[in-house]
Amino acid sequence: MRDAFSSYHPTVNLAYFAGIILLSMLLLHPYFLVFSFLGGLAYFLRLRGRGALRFCFLFLLPLMAAAAVLNPLFNHAGVTILAYLPDGNPVTLESICYGAAAAGMFGAVLLWFACCGDVMTSDKWIYLFGRIFPAQSLLLSMALRFIPRYQMQAGVISRSQACLGRGATGKGILRKARGGLRILSILTTWALENAIETADSMKARGYGLPGRTSFSLFRFDGRDRIVFFILMGLAAAAFWGLAAGAAGIRFFPSIHLPETTPSVVAIRILYPVLCFLPLILDAAEELQWTYIRSRL
Amino acid sequence: MQMQPSGPDRKSRRTVAATITAVLAPATVLAGVFLLGDRKYYFVSLLMVLYALILFGLAFERRRPQARELVIAAVLTALSVAGRSAFFMLPQFKPVAAIVIIAGVCMGGETGFLVGALTGFISGFLFGQGPWTPWQMLCFGGIGLLAGALVRQGILRRDRLSLCIYGGLSTFLLYGGVMDLASVLMTFPRLTWQALLASYAAGLWFNLVHALSTVFFLFVLSKPMIEKLDRIKVKYGLMEP
Repeated sequence: MRDAFSSYHPTVNLAYFAGIILLSMLLLHPYFLVFSFLGGLAYFLRLRGRGALRFCFLFLLPLMAAAAVLNPLFNHAGVTILAYLPDGNPVTLESICYGAAAAGMFGAVLLWFACCGDVMTSDKWIYLFGRIFPAQSLLLSMALRFIPRYQMQAGVISRSQACLGRGATGKGILRKARGGLRILSILTTWALENAIETADSMKARGYGLPGRTSFSLFRFDGRDRIVFFILMGLAAAAFWGLAAGAAGIRFFPSIHLPETTPSVVAIRILYPVLCFLPLILDAAEELQWTYIRSRL
Repeated sequence: MQMQPSGPDRKSRRTVAATITAVLAPATVLAGVFLLGDRKYYFVSLLMVLYALILFGLAFERRRPQARELVIAAVLTALSVAGRSAFFMLPQFKPVAAIVIIAGVCMGGETGFLVGALTGFISGFLFGQGPWTPWQMLCFGGIGLLAGALVRQGILRRDRLSLCIYGGLSTFLLYGGVMDLASVLMTFPRLTWQALLASYAAGLWFNLVHALSTVFFLFVLSKPMIEKLDRIKVKYGLMEP
């Protein structure tokens, strides 16, 4: 089933992902890292189901392990020296901690990017940037359309070549390669000729003339407005906390954590809400749906 | 017939470009230096990459590109993305850089940049977006832009040998160099020579395969592709670079 957050307006989606990705890159304090990571992981599991686990184990964990191990090996800043490497450089407690934090940050960012890729489909990008980059958005949507079209046309060419006895199937790598290249060559010529025809047709229908409108399915309604304001408030609080030094952490030369003041506590309560916002919205929608059904 | 640009969009585009150059870029550097501490190198560089991409995009829109130009760029982008997904099982063995270079050589550096950057963006939809996407867009775009500029200046010739040399060098140095630098910035608090060298050493094999695959594809594709694109240009009287 599609999740609730994906059905919100693209502006809300993009603002959320931009905010959460920036914040998870910046907030290296372990408390915030844990929530960035868990929030991203939970939402990714919600979006992909079981397929998400493969991504996590085959891709995410090795990268995170590499970040954690490489940091103490190549970064020798910090005052607490634990041991010396064979080449004489020190291994410091601070660089080990930074490595762990960098690994967590890396994992969280990758997870949020993966979620963003699933939620922000190409039609949403084109809708958002169509006004300021009209030509490039058109280019993007044309290129996306061309890919399946070329695959189909490649099949057509391949079959007609096979009829002529020049198919790409058959024995021998060289023969196959030559056949494949011939198909590619025919496809390219066809694509270019076809492109000119498309362009002339576009021009004849008034491409680039003023006063054209474009169709989209998205509407910024009340629910989007509410979530957008909540989102802005939470992100503003987190950024303010970061700027005021309340949410940050200093690793070098020695580890320094901010003191616990009321504002720090407030940010610590608000940030998890931001991280789990898509899941909260999803759960709220589910509850509402159950409630409506129970009244029937 | 000359097309009239619609007023408000054009004006807002100019405002965005001016804001980025005059306000956002310096503000980013200052904020990075004073606020970010351990993350400043990654952040400032990532945002600068994004600004560069946006500014290039705005410059392209300001030119009011013609329909034919756009569709040809879309064809080349689609071919390079399709080529990338055709070789998905061989890591780093990709025709993308080769097609981007051919686009830059035949259609000018601007189209080369556009084809490269869009290929980076679209492959994100197929293979997963990540923090590397903007860097990839910049690297592939840069390879195409440089190819176009060098041909225009007469430094790079359009024959197979010089394109293969340019392709190998640019993929290895520009793409490999910048992507490895980006991964160092992402995982380390600051740039150190040791970390950078370690990253280049670890990426050497991948970059080498990538560079060799670009040379291979340019060797096979450059002559027929350039012929086809030139033919289209002559036949329909397209933009003369």
